Amino acid sequence: MPRKQPSAHASRDIQGEKNAATGAARSTDRSGARASEQAAAPRGRSAAVSLDDVHVAYPNGTEALRGVSVRIDPGSYTCVIGGNGSGKSTFAQVLNALIAPTQGSVRVFGMDTADPAQQLKIRSRAAMVFQHPEDQMVTSVVADDVAFGPENLALPQPQIAARVDEALAAVALADLAQADPADLSGGQKQRVAIAGAFAMHPDLLILDEPAAMLDVRGRRGIRRVCRELNERGITIVHVTHFMDDVLDADRVLVLDGGLLVLDGTPEQVFSHEQAIRTLNLDLPASLSLAEKLDARGLPVPHLPHEDDLARAVAQVAADRAKNTRAQPGQPSAVSAGTAAASTAPCAEQDEKNPATGAAAASVPYGTGASAPSAAPSRTADGDAPAALSFSHVSFSYAAPKPERRKRRLFARKHGNGALPADAPWALEDVSLTVDPGSLTALIGHTGAGKSTVIELACALKQPTAGQVRVAGIDVADAGRRRELRRAVGYVSQLPERQLFAETVYDDIAFGPRNLGLAEDEVRAGVSRACELVGLDLDALGGRSPFALSGGQQRCVALAGVLALGPRILVLDEPMAGLDPAGRARTLKLLRALNAQGTAMLVVTHSMDDVAAIADQVVVMDHGRVALSGTPAEVFAREEDLHRIGLGTPSAQRLARKIQAAGLDLPEKRPLTLDALADEVLAAASPERPGQGGAEDGASC
Amino acid sequence: MALHVSVGQYYSADSPIHRLDPRVKLAAALVYMVSCFFVSNPAMLALAGAAAFALMGLSHVPARLMLRSVKPIMFFLVFTSLFNLLFVQTGAVLVRLGPVAVTDAGVWAAALYTLRFLFLLLVGALVMCTTTPIALTDAAESLMKPLARLGAPVHDVALVMSIALRFVPTLAREAENIVAAQTARGADLENKGALAYARACVPLVVPLFASALRHADNLGRAMDARCYTDGAHRTRYHVMRFSPRRDGAAVAATALYLFALAAMALAF
Repeated sequence: MPRKQPSAHASRDIQGEKNAATGAARSTDRSGARASEQAAAPRGRSAAVSLDDVHVAYPNGTEALRGVSVRIDPGSYTCVIGGNGSGKSTFAQVLNALIAPTQGSVRVFGMDTADPAQQLKIRSRAAMVFQHPEDQMVTSVVADDVAFGPENLALPQPQIAARVDEALAAVALADLAQADPADLSGGQKQRVAIAGAFAMHPDLLILDEPAAMLDVRGRRGIRRVCRELNERGITIVHVTHFMDDVLDADRVLVLDGGLLVLDGTPEQVFSHEQAIRTLNLDLPASLSLAEKLDARGLPVPHLPHEDDLARAVAQVAADRAKNTRAQPGQPSAVSAGTAAASTAPCAEQDEKNPATGAAAASVPYGTGASAPSAAPSRTADGDAPAALSFSHVSFSYAAPKPERRKRRLFARKHGNGALPADAPWALEDVSLTVDPGSLTALIGHTGAGKSTVIELACALKQPTAGQVRVAGIDVADAGRRRELRRAVGYVSQLPERQLFAETVYDDIAFGPRNLGLAEDEVRAGVSRACELVGLDLDALGGRSPFALSGGQQRCVALAGVLALGPRILVLDEPMAGLDPAGRARTLKLLRALNAQGTAMLVVTHSMDDVAAIADQVVVMDHGRVALSGTPAEVFAREEDLHRIGLGTPSAQRLARKIQAAGLDLPEKRPLTLDALADEVLAAASPERPGQGGAEDGASC
Repeated sequence: MALHVSVGQYYSADSPIHRLDPRVKLAAALVYMVSCFFVSNPAMLALAGAAAFALMGLSHVPARLMLRSVKPIMFFLVFTSLFNLLFVQTGAVLVRLGPVAVTDAGVWAAALYTLRFLFLLLVGALVMCTTTPIALTDAAESLMKPLARLGAPVHDVALVMSIALRFVPTLAREAENIVAAQTARGADLENKGALAYARACVPLVVPLFASALRHADNLGRAMDARCYTDGAHRTRYHVMRFSPRRDGAAVAATALYLFALAAMALAF
């Protein structure tokens, strides 16, 4: 079992002072020049953190850490990864003396965390940032919140003021010093939290999944801030779910079941590809591509950094093309093998990704990216009603709320709502259609209007102008509300937070019972929903939902929505806060539901998820539909997406880098890594268009 | 169920009122508000009104915003003025509508009670609009310092107030999300009797309560991590300074106002 070895190595590593030498040896084989510089620096002598056989057991008997020994050098950047329940959050809190080890010892800058007299001293040097930015703010003014730590350290006032200014500048929020944290985006709030930690001038900054709830832009901001703080000499320990975060680190610790199972540079750790998979973790996109190219018979060096990999891929592919072209007489065995190998993944990709493949054929999105407003009229005179249709919908939160009673009286007047001229529109003239059985991804920034679209689609709000139809029912029609509720299911963000019932069964049955179904119908709905989400109803049905793990709670909440048997499902960031295994499970569930004919509207931050599962993409910006179309159509408008501040799928990003490194790909913008691997292979094969090769397996 | 919170609606601006020492501002406002209850004749009412509007003018806070924060209590004001108008039966009769007579004393009472309460509210709202919640709790803490000597947990109470203000929007938003999620699952909160309504609230209250506990737990940990122990060993980012010129002027103006009010009370 290869994955146990590094752990044993690491635990032996920490004994005694001689490890300075080992540390230096380890750093020299790191790729970064900065790391080896630090090994030579005098402060490298004593560890920032050293854990010796640390066990942590919680009062309920679960052991979160089961013998972890590790030593972290000052000035280093360490990422800690692992699935849910691997003990990584406990690991982070142990470093801050928030949790004392039940066995073993933790020393932070030489101070023992078990010694109550040292705890404040440790916390003042080892600052911590938590997952939920909301729960770290003590006041309602940004600058005052940043000042909270320095105030607690009893610094004189002028020094506090200087530190607040410095910290806010460091996270690029100086102009929001007087803002209310409640008005900031998640990413900005988390940067405020980092500023609050940095203002204490720590030597060590511990971040516990700081970006789990953030969008791509927020996450990028956090990564940049972490790198900059590290360059200032602060030791960083960053616990994360995201594999691309890991690439910034000069060391990666992988935890599993409370044990340290892998330890090394990102290159070293990710070279244990098999182990990474069995630990329910992901590979970064770069290494997934390398793996896929290997499988297609084009071995490339496994370099985790995308730019390095892109250059290597371009080089290898160009060499291959040159070599095979050099011997035109004999079609080489290699390229024949390549062709054979590549057909299989191609087929697999089409199977795995019916969405993008089938979309063009089954759903005539001929309207294209530029004319989204034409879509509803098409379905209006079509045969089946659209699952969901917005027709010139505008909405303003400032408009007087149409009360139920009023609505009945003035039903005809609906849609002519007179608004004050300066009323802010949350949505302005939005038209979109979700066809039955299709999956539409809704993307855009915080405040772009996604949530409002969702509220309207679930009949939680009425449009100020225009019409919203759900399964053919006008949401303004209060008389058919019950029918509508049954047709559309709404999975809110972090849906596990709406659990309330005494037992799992009752919670899932809440929806069906509200609709007045007979108890045997309810039972059938509940058991079908549990089957869909993979929940063992016999074992868990009678338990309290609050006693379950986070992942199980999410399943219960999903089942509670699916128990209504909705034909249309609206999901608000179903992947938020999940580890790679949870994300994969949720993607699988969405695909399965979609395959059964459930139409879906999914809000997501992940462009890779969009590329993998969506038939249609709607991009919101400032309350309007900025772009819409198939993923291929929308992601082709790279410049528009960048202007809005959204990214592209990692396959497309890698493709651009590979092309920049000099390899010409036949298809410029592949959506998935499998498609990209095929492109690379096609470029590496000699039978380019015009050269008339015998084999054309790669161009499927 | 939209929860609109008008507490602590700070309006950021740079005005003489904003720059006052929050202790002086709070104390002066309290003095003014108490003095409103002693307003009893037209001259005093005019003076109190002039003072309130002068302060509003000085503060650079848009009148629209001020009126909005008073709006929730408007109904109560209108009700009391009508009550006074119709039920005060002393004095000369102005209009008679069947059994009800509107007298000049009734009109005066309606105007007096309504207006002086309105002035009181406006000045209270003005303090909220021109002072950050932090400064306000700091000021309250500072003014109550004598109580701390008697063993009252003044600092802790101030911090709890500050955190409560901070979490009002968070919890309000979560309540809205929970209502949305449960409504989408067919929960009906309308057209119900009291008992059914209480039962229908369980799916809303339980998650909200769980959420509040989770926030408390997380916040406690975050405060620990940021070295919070208790109020005794902290310093302050905002040091409240009594500026002899500006705050001295405010104290003098308050004293002058009180003196004028007292003079009018005696003169008329």
